[in-house]
Amino acid sequence: MSVLQANCPSCAAPVEFKAGSTIVLVCPFCRSAIARSDRGLQDLGKVAEIVESQSSLKLGLKGEFKGARFELTGRAQLRHELGGSWDEWYATFSNGWVGWLAEAQGNFYLTFYQPMPEGVSLPSFDKLQVGQIVPEIPSTIPLMVVEKGIATAVAAAGEIPYQLTPNEQSSYADLSGSDSAFGTIDYSLDPPWVFIGQQVSLADIGLANARPAEREARRVSTAAMGCPNCGGPLSLTAPDKAERVTCPNCDSLLDVNQGNLTYLKTLTPTEADKSFVLAIGAEGTFKDDVKFKIIGAVVRSVTIDGETYYWHEYLLYNPTIFFRWLVHSDNHWNFVEPLNPADVAADANILGARSATHNGKKFKIFQDAPAVVQYVKGEFYWRVEQGETVRAVDYVAAPLMLSQESTEKEINWSIGNYMTNAEIEKAFGITDLPKPWSVAPNQPFTGGFYYTWGLLPLFLLLVVAVFMIPIAGLTNTVLSQEVSLPPMTNATTAQIAFSQPFEIKGNRNIRISASAPVSNSFAELDVDLVNNQSQEVESVTIPIEYYFGSDSDGSWTEGAKEQDATLSSLPAGKYTLRVEGTWQDWQTPMPLSLKVEQNVNRGVNFLCAFLVLLIVPVLGLFRKISFESRRWKDSMFNTSSSEE
Amino acid sequence: MLKKLYLIFGIGVMLTYGAAAWFGWELANSGKNSRIGVPFIYTGFRGGK
Repeated sequence: MSVLQANCPSCAAPVEFKAGSTIVLVCPFCRSAIARSDRGLQDLGKVAEIVESQSSLKLGLKGEFKGARFELTGRAQLRHELGGSWDEWYATFSNGWVGWLAEAQGNFYLTFYQPMPEGVSLPSFDKLQVGQIVPEIPSTIPLMVVEKGIATAVAAAGEIPYQLTPNEQSSYADLSGSDSAFGTIDYSLDPPWVFIGQQVSLADIGLANARPAEREARRVSTAAMGCPNCGGPLSLTAPDKAERVTCPNCDSLLDVNQGNLTYLKTLTPTEADKSFVLAIGAEGTFKDDVKFKIIGAVVRSVTIDGETYYWHEYLLYNPTIFFRWLVHSDNHWNFVEPLNPADVAADANILGARSATHNGKKFKIFQDAPAVVQYVKGEFYWRVEQGETVRAVDYVAAPLMLSQESTEKEINWSIGNYMTNAEIEKAFGITDLPKPWSVAPNQPFTGGFYYTWGLLPLFLLLVVAVFMIPIAGLTNTVLSQEVSLPPMTNATTAQIAFSQPFEIKGNRNIRISASAPVSNSFAELDVDLVNNQSQEVESVTIPIEYYFGSDSDGSWTEGAKEQDATLSSLPAGKYTLRVEGTWQDWQTPMPLSLKVEQNVNRGVNFLCAFLVLLIVPVLGLFRKISFESRRWKDSMFNTSSSEE
Repeated sequence: MLKKLYLIFGIGVMLTYGAAAWFGWELANSGKNSRIGVPFIYTGFRGGK
């Protein structure tokens, strides 16, 4: 279709369909949705005025995508059935393309209509399952259903490239795939239309000036209101996002609808519910100096084997980044960010898989249980309710935790990063947070040093040991001599013999060996190594005994005919061995074979050093095993603890 | 701090081993029949008789 100038059928004001793709134009004067067709203009009814959000986009903005220039010519606001709304911007390209630029929670998704191949039809909306891949969609990247819902077109402006009927509801399914791939199936048409594209940043589409990371964070605007139940004052930090708020004066849960508050119910918190350690309104500075304000807090619980476990979650808000979570459980803390479901590869079935992989890191399942909202406080961007239940599956790979929360209509993934108490205290400028107990599912073990880098001295010891063998030299014999002790005069008076002099070198250990022909008898030798120059003496005792025989078990022996003793190095010089001996058969002479060696390679020193250095790594390893055991003891899947 | 102390200790043990190998020191009871019978590293003469 071409450019069309006409008068509004409702108010007769002049209107112009600029883009050839425009189907519906919102009259800027009377807000009527005007559809053009072959039969002329048709008034579809009034549309509400766009609720100004904190979007950095506006009609008329020009950008570029893959070399093609476009202009934002239309905008619609759609309302989610569970609360919350999102914007859809319509990009009219100079080459005739029409792009759908969806904006939700600070993220942007640019998609284009994709005709289905001939003869291929999509599953019906009812048959479509959250978590399933839709192979019928003609996309190179497999797309998985992450959300099913019903949208209501509540407001619009500019030119719309499809038949937008005010307040008309339409079913849709959102899909995502790896590498930021994104898709939508619009079930309001028959057959349904498929839109395929990707998640983009504003810089990707030539709108760098509005790039969220670089644009100046706007001051949080606060809307002051009155509670419809008690009349007390309350304020909204993110009025364009809030769907539910609680009154700080009367604990009423209030619905927020375009700035109007409706009383829903009065919450009755238990003592446990009230025990939030951080206050609504507190501001904290997190990674990259990003400031977040706590705008809401939730108490949630899971019940496992009849026992209920509670934890607290704080909703953080930043006007540029939007929402994050701070989870407080057993006095452990996690900073939680949303994750594209397609960036998580569930290794088996996407729902309740035993493991999941994200960024090449494998996460093991820790818990799979229904999580229930027990109590809420503050404001929320969805229609939160007491008793709201989702299936929550946690996967851990310290210090990270992947969490999957799913309902029949939606599947969400988030990634939590463990934070220490000190980090939380620093972020919020507070002190004395309650100390954590036990071990958190994704708490990192901080003692790994002792069995990783702590093995460095052991490794160096091995290197030194290997290199010292050739450096210290090989074993050499400095004396080998036969001597004979004459028969003893009685059983107690020892006989003495001397060796010939021999040379001892310094800085080398010394081994003295003696062998005697004992047979079912013993010989006791006191051996002195005498320095011929200084007459100093180094003494060792070498007892030799050798027994043998046979009994009912067969033959046996005990002891040996040769024994030795090793000494540390002695000053270099001439030495003589003085051997003083007694032996069992004292009436007979005792022939002895003496040997003195140096540079004897022995493992005792090495073994002792090795064992000493092994103590700390082994203790570190035991600590790690104990830590992992405590981590997994509360898990429903704790059989895998031993694999850590 | 503890990590540094452990590393200093570990390097100390390793250097002691290296020095023992270089200077020919032995643990006193390393000779299984030594009269001293307690593990320590010694050098030189312990005295004569």
